Amino acid sequence: MPGPLEEKEEAKRCSYLTDYALQKVRGILFFLGLLIFFTGLPYILSFALGYKFNPHTLKFVKTGLIYIRTQPEGAKIYLNNKLTTDKSPASIQELVPGVYKVALELEQYYPWKAEVEVQEGKATRLDKIILFPLRPDLQQLNQEKFSTFHADFQKELIYYLDQEQNLVYRSNLDGSNFEDIATLPDNFTGIKGWEVAEDKAKMFIFNAHQIAVIFFDTRDNYEQPDSPVFIEYPREKILQVFWHSDSYYLIVVTNRHITAIESRLQATPVNLADLSKENTTAFYDNKRDILYFSDMQKAPDGAVYNNLYRLELSANFYLLERLMKKRPSDFTQVPGSPKEKKEGQVE
Amino acid sequence: MNKPKLLKRVLEIIPGGLSWSIIFALILLSVFFPVASAIIIITFDFYWIIRTVYLTTLLIMAHHCLSRQKGRDWLSCCLGLPPEKGWDKLHQLVIFPVCNEGLEVLRPSLAALEATHYPKEKFIVAMAFEERNPQARSNAAILEREYGAKFGGYLSIFHPDGLPKESHTKGANATWAAKAAKKYIDSKGIAYRNVLVSCFDADTSVDPEYFGCLDYHFLTTEKPHQASYQPMPVYNNNIWTAPSFARLVEISASFCQMIESMRLEKFVTFSSHSMSFKTLVEVDYWPTNMISDDSVIYWKGYLHYHGDYRVVPLYITVSMDVAYSSNIWKTIVVQYKQKRRWAWGVENFPFVVNGFIENKKISLWKKIRRSFHLLESHVTWAVWAVILVVIGPLPILFGGAFFSQMSIAYNLPKITGLLFNFTLLTSLTWIFLSRTILPPRPKGVSWFKNVLLILEWIFVPLIILVLGSTPALDAQSRLMLARYMEFNPTLKGNKVL
Repeated sequence: MPGPLEEKEEAKRCSYLTDYALQKVRGILFFLGLLIFFTGLPYILSFALGYKFNPHTLKFVKTGLIYIRTQPEGAKIYLNNKLTTDKSPASIQELVPGVYKVALELEQYYPWKAEVEVQEGKATRLDKIILFPLRPDLQQLNQEKFSTFHADFQKELIYYLDQEQNLVYRSNLDGSNFEDIATLPDNFTGIKGWEVAEDKAKMFIFNAHQIAVIFFDTRDNYEQPDSPVFIEYPREKILQVFWHSDSYYLIVVTNRHITAIESRLQATPVNLADLSKENTTAFYDNKRDILYFSDMQKAPDGAVYNNLYRLELSANFYLLERLMKKRPSDFTQVPGSPKEKKEGQVE
Repeated sequence: MNKPKLLKRVLEIIPGGLSWSIIFALILLSVFFPVASAIIIITFDFYWIIRTVYLTTLLIMAHHCLSRQKGRDWLSCCLGLPPEKGWDKLHQLVIFPVCNEGLEVLRPSLAALEATHYPKEKFIVAMAFEERNPQARSNAAILEREYGAKFGGYLSIFHPDGLPKESHTKGANATWAAKAAKKYIDSKGIAYRNVLVSCFDADTSVDPEYFGCLDYHFLTTEKPHQASYQPMPVYNNNIWTAPSFARLVEISASFCQMIESMRLEKFVTFSSHSMSFKTLVEVDYWPTNMISDDSVIYWKGYLHYHGDYRVVPLYITVSMDVAYSSNIWKTIVVQYKQKRRWAWGVENFPFVVNGFIENKKISLWKKIRRSFHLLESHVTWAVWAVILVVIGPLPILFGGAFFSQMSIAYNLPKITGLLFNFTLLTSLTWIFLSRTILPPRPKGVSWFKNVLLILEWIFVPLIILVLGSTPALDAQSRLMLARYMEFNPTLKGNKVL
């Protein structure tokens, strides 16, 4: 235990340290901090702004950088054929402006190569690079021969049409549950198009003058008739056919008319519009049941104009009846068509 | 508005106006000139790294002093002084301003005073109660019965409510008590120069050697009456039972005070402190209408002695309660209000600058230097966390396509990341030092708390976010808008409230 005198000396010493020595140390630290700040700041800011000090010329050179991000990450980065220590994602800094050969390599993936330009003070972004695998996951989905197919991503199904064997197949998107679901009618040649109905129970095929509605061999299909339903258009040329969203009506665009027809035997077509253009084009929004089609119209000035029309075909069954009573002038012309007519848009 | 009032208002607006201007200017720069903003942010980040390392070094130095003087027999040091120094004539006036603290807070404070290694007959204890507190009279009677005979003098003083030129502040109560004690000192024929007055928060438990240490420094320092004596405030009374969040904040506050003790030219009194009673009378006591009476008393001394006044650090602790409440959210509110009250020390700026304008004997250099220090410390307090946490990412968020193709856009996050790594390093130092100032683990507290005391430092970013700058911005905005704060005593107690 130190005595009072020793305590006094120690206290004096500490007091001295506090008042003088420590303050001196603090002063040194303070000015050291100032020195570091004012000498370090130009280097930090020049680094941040992309400047590089050249010890040979004793000058700052403005540089650029290349930012690389790949998917997947971890690719080796070659710059002008030299391997860098960085792996993606990385920013390669302090690059003198110019063109650089960049190569990215990742085992089991195709290499990526490009020549990129580096500009002073700027970052060249290579941040959307996808490295594709060397052996991609290539999978055969069909189990039988087919001539055309259609992928329905909403229903997650693929339909295959084999026109040689007259068969229709269906599978999931990954090829599972591959099955034969229907037989095409014999002697139905020159197929121009086909589409599966929303209810996944039937499809149509069509050629220039005939539509065949084919019902799939599904167990719960109560409306399946014994044979395909054929709808004939002997005097008209069928251009396009669409399923109505109710999977019951067909919207048929010919070179003369637009008709709606039931997909069953002996159904009488409903004429929705007469067309004056031989090769009209049409698009059908089967979510909203709206048909968009173009047609040539003669204006009062005697000139002929190509107009675009919009025809609403609601899922309401009775709408079709109303449509029948609708005058051609009631059709909505899509705004922006070159010339609108007040009356008799469809002649 | 007359000229002095206008000047006062202008000076009140300056700190808040400056803080908000810096924040808005940086936000606007981030949106319209992101490169310029990024340069300023990087400069500030670099400055902050150096500042953090510098301040942590000062903390280590202060801690070293505290450790060396821990457990020293200061009374023996005083007894070893030459008789002409006059230690035997010294008396201690200890004032405890009490607002609404109960006996559970006051008893430990008086018990600690009783347990000091110092002649009790030299003490004049002044328990300064607020008359508006309905419990004041009964508590005073109980304490007087328990402790009245244990000290040389014991006074129960009741501060009347609503006196002219007074606000509800601790300073008003302390001043009333000091004036009452003056009558007692006069009656005993004690010279004011032989009385040291200590104004302690009600929950202050002094170190047993505190008064020996105070006397020794008073008797050995130059111009002892032209100095205040500042012990190191720690919040050890209930630190083991306080929630992590509050504990961390208070440890940080203690460390900040220790750091300040190393910067003598900026050192200002804070919380519990001591000074010569002669000086207290000469400077006309603590302010009666300002919340930050603890620092204003220093500035009053500084102005009275024309700049020849200082704060002598005492590397000995006075322990107070950690402010907390029954749940984390209430604790955050309690802590927020306490820090806002501390930040209200910004009211010193108009007071000091106004004093400097009136005082012609202080050199212009000193005036500029001290005013700048005062302003800079408050403005930095209000903006540092906002710049680091909020404005730092803005150039990248608002910089747009043009900025994102610049080299600086890629380097800004790198440099900011470096800052946080440095902060982590300094945090490790703070964690280590915080362990050394803790009192022994009380019985009944699980050893697991030792682990928790280290793990809780992960809350630091949250604390920075909530209590870093916002209380200071709040206080400065109130001063700027002339929405003056009233003294709002912090809820304290050894038990969870």
